[in-house]
Amino acid sequence: MEKVISVKNVSKKYILYRNPKERLLDLIIPKKLGEDFFALSHVDFEAYKGDIIGFIGTNGSGKSTLSNIIAGIVPESSGQVNVKGNTSLIAVASGLNNDLTGRDNIELKLLMLGFNKKEIKELEPDIIKFSELEKFIDQPVKSYSSGMKSRLGFSISVNVDPDILIIDEALSVGDKAFAEKSLRKMREFKEKGKTMIFVSHSLGQMKEFCEKILWLEFGTVRAFGDVEEIIPQYEQFINKYKNMSQEQKNEYRNEIMRKVNE
Amino acid sequence: MKLALEILKEQKKYFYLIRRLSLYELKSNNKSNYLGMAWELINPAIQILIYWLVFGTLMRREPIIISGNEVPFINWLMAGFFVWTLFYQSVIQGSKSIYTRLRMLSKMSFPMSIIPSYVIFSQFYIHLMSMLVTFLIFIIINQSINIYIIQLPYYMFAGLCLMFSISLVMSTLSTIVRDVHMLLNSTLKMFLYLSGVLWPITLLSDYPFLMKVMKLNPVYYLINGYRQSFFGNTWSIISEWKYTLFFWGLVLVIFLIGSRLHMKFRRHFIDFL
Repeated sequence: MEKVISVKNVSKKYILYRNPKERLLDLIIPKKLGEDFFALSHVDFEAYKGDIIGFIGTNGSGKSTLSNIIAGIVPESSGQVNVKGNTSLIAVASGLNNDLTGRDNIELKLLMLGFNKKEIKELEPDIIKFSELEKFIDQPVKSYSSGMKSRLGFSISVNVDPDILIIDEALSVGDKAFAEKSLRKMREFKEKGKTMIFVSHSLGQMKEFCEKILWLEFGTVRAFGDVEEIIPQYEQFINKYKNMSQEQKNEYRNEIMRKVNE
Repeated sequence: MKLALEILKEQKKYFYLIRRLSLYELKSNNKSNYLGMAWELINPAIQILIYWLVFGTLMRREPIIISGNEVPFINWLMAGFFVWTLFYQSVIQGSKSIYTRLRMLSKMSFPMSIIPSYVIFSQFYIHLMSMLVTFLIFIIINQSINIYIIQLPYYMFAGLCLMFSISLVMSTLSTIVRDVHMLLNSTLKMFLYLSGVLWPITLLSDYPFLMKVMKLNPVYYLINGYRQSFFGNTWSIISEWKYTLFFWGLVLVIFLIGSRLHMKFRRHFIDFL
């Protein structure tokens, strides 16, 4: 099978500064200031064509960072990322221009994705229909509700027919009917053999949809395997983790970090 | 040098995108006003009227003489003011172009260097419109225009090159340190008075050295070029060849610095948000 995503030893470092002054000084003087924070450290992971992979983990485990890196939005600090084909990331806060109408936003977004005039003309009706925005499509986006915005963003990303689709918590907005419809579209993609990555806290959706699960913990890979194998382990862990006190959580975290740094 | 060529190639390859995106830019800037795009002309018109009142009538001054002919102050002001507005708006908008649009573009593979260009382009459309208005007014008030006007496209092109180079530098710097944009804003306000937009630099003819230094200002080169094209009777590109050379040398240096900076940081722009 063809390997479409290969992530090798990838780390993502953010530098945390105490104040803006420190940030500026760090740019100017050679001495290093600020505290390093690794959103991801030494992550390895591979996906083959047609894989449907779920990213799970507690808050701050690096799920979104990893999906952003795969989507080519955020650069990695070190390591290698190879992605074959074009990716499309669907996130709740998809970049729309508030001053333009929904229709203009569709055209603008498609232009930026490299479509030409004719292709845009063809895609536009499908996107509008899928978004169910109807007469709101010619209203400025700033008048939209958050559900409408995410529906529009979702419709654009889904209809451009990407090779790799990354969905970051985007299905949790919008009503049940739209979520159903989106899931149907996902299934269609699944049948077409497209690679998909799901980032979600909803284990139910994961179980139903994904084949493999990547379990991230504080920026490292805890486990990667089949759904049937990982999800029960994760559920068990979550139950334990939920009942920990803050100190226990911190201790647990430090222990993991120590293991990674060794 | 290689990086600079790469940026030029990107401009050529995505020229279609620059044209289309600049139209959306115009649209999104003026959508919420009832008068829409008309404001792009009303605004400078009001400014011209104010400067005319203050510098043209209230304050005593010598008549303005270009190539031996006296030019009415309002005509002289109009010929230079619109290119100043183009410069000011392009550099200001160009400087903040990247960090305000990055969220929307999001993909690193997007040719980032065309962001300042399409912002400048959208200003250029407005400039062309205001030039048209200027011509109409000059015809109505019988300001004679001669053959030297065909230098105007050259000065427009020179202006675009200058603005793009400056925007390339400033958009990178102000993405990294937002304060740069603020600094630029106040510096530009100062340039309005230093570039001979409102008063002829020849007023300084008692201080020849100071006048020479001020003439090296690339913005002055553009404004003076516009005025020479409208009212002059020489080929100012050639007759002032030393300044022409200096202008292009400066543009080249700024462009080389800009391409270096831009290419070095473009992948990491998103980390600075």
